[in-house]
Amino acid sequence: MISVRGVRKAFGTATVLDGIDLDVHSGEVVSILGSSGSGKSTLIRCMNGLEKLDGGRITIDDFDVSRPKELAEARKRSATVFQLFNLYPHMTAVQNIALAPVEVLKIPRKQAEADARALLDSVGLSARADAFPAQLSGGQRQRVGICRALAMKPRYLLLDEITSALDPEMTSDVLAILAKLARDGTTMVFVTHEIEFARTISSRIVFLDKGQLVVDLPTAEFFAADGGMAKPRIAQFLSKMRKD
Amino acid sequence: MRYTAFTSYDIVLLAQGLGVSLALFLATTIIGLLLGSLWAIIRFYRVPVLMQIVTVFAELLKNSPVLVQLFLVFFGLPAFARLNVTPVEAAVITLSGNTAAFVYVIAVSAIESIGRDQIEAARVSGLSRWQVLRHIIAPQAMAFAIGPLTGLLVNQLQVTSLISVIGVVDLTKIGNILNLRTLKPFIVWAIVGGLYYVMAKLVAFGGATLEKRLRAHTAWKGL
Repeated sequence: MISVRGVRKAFGTATVLDGIDLDVHSGEVVSILGSSGSGKSTLIRCMNGLEKLDGGRITIDDFDVSRPKELAEARKRSATVFQLFNLYPHMTAVQNIALAPVEVLKIPRKQAEADARALLDSVGLSARADAFPAQLSGGQRQRVGICRALAMKPRYLLLDEITSALDPEMTSDVLAILAKLARDGTTMVFVTHEIEFARTISSRIVFLDKGQLVVDLPTAEFFAADGGMAKPRIAQFLSKMRKD
Repeated sequence: MRYTAFTSYDIVLLAQGLGVSLALFLATTIIGLLLGSLWAIIRFYRVPVLMQIVTVFAELLKNSPVLVQLFLVFFGLPAFARLNVTPVEAAVITLSGNTAAFVYVIAVSAIESIGRDQIEAARVSGLSRWQVLRHIIAPQAMAFAIGPLTGLLVNQLQVTSLISVIGVVDLTKIGNILNLRTLKPFIVWAIVGGLYYVMAKLVAFGGATLEKRLRAHTAWKGL
């Protein structure tokens, strides 16, 4: 389980996360929605230990990400896919995917590369396995990014606006892969602006506004007519996103 | 009567001087590359105290003439530290330090040109700092640095000619000896200059070949 308790984070005088509480259980797909600047990406960066917390605690399977000795274990259990792919440009697609399994999980290189090729095959990229990132399209790069995360056999997949740099066609390719992962029971925390997709695959929706968690509801309830006290803000957000 | 004609033994002398210059260049290049890269790593990981020492030391070495550094080492170490150094030792110490200072600058900018996003991706994958340095930073930093490094090494090759002033019998010193004996400065210095030119072109060719290999992954092939 990923447990987020009272998490606070500020950059200078700007408070980005203000007392966030959230639990993500095994098998859940949790979508985090909110306007730009609401703290969604920062929350993901706090979960994978890229940002130091100013307060509160995040644990992944009881390993505290704020403690350096426990962070390595927490990171073995989770994997992140980034908005701008963050691939290593000097390595081929296969090498990008096999690096961490070889270095961190100590899987023999031949085995890791065979696994990487199988993963690339599963996302329709077997023909581009030996291409460098600069030789791939945006959608292909993001699929490599997803394979790189899956190669670590993570219990939790953290996805940070992974389609926002892609055109609609590439977006649908990537979302199809995520839908398959969701059907297979992969636990995912998914920061997105793809409202309809979030509605389709998520078990829960978390809505952030100005660094605060406004609602955390099952998907059907979130999109239902009665959204409780927070409804006007959510309705305003959903209306704006649909117009965009 | 003075004997001023060239002899076949002069070729041996030139080869000997060339060998000394090349050996010193190679030795000080290797030491300078290792030292400068180490300083850059210290700076990258912001190692307390060491980082400040390295910064000050590199600033001093970068911003003072090599000849002054050479005199300070050759005459200063025996006088102030009671350490006797031979001309070759003084040359190795000075040129290695000077090369390291400039390698440090190039390596720091090469490391800083690597996207933070890649380092973050590697860290969240569970790679240690050492693994990130080895697999992500070093290969790409080398590719970025190889061009300026080649320029620096071509320059450092010419700088080795300064060591003749403290008595190291390198190519320039041999040129001086031959010039004094033959009284044919244009021929002697043209030959010496030609040999430096050939060495510099070989260094530049080696650098360009290595750069091509290290940058094989980039789509950019130039205009």
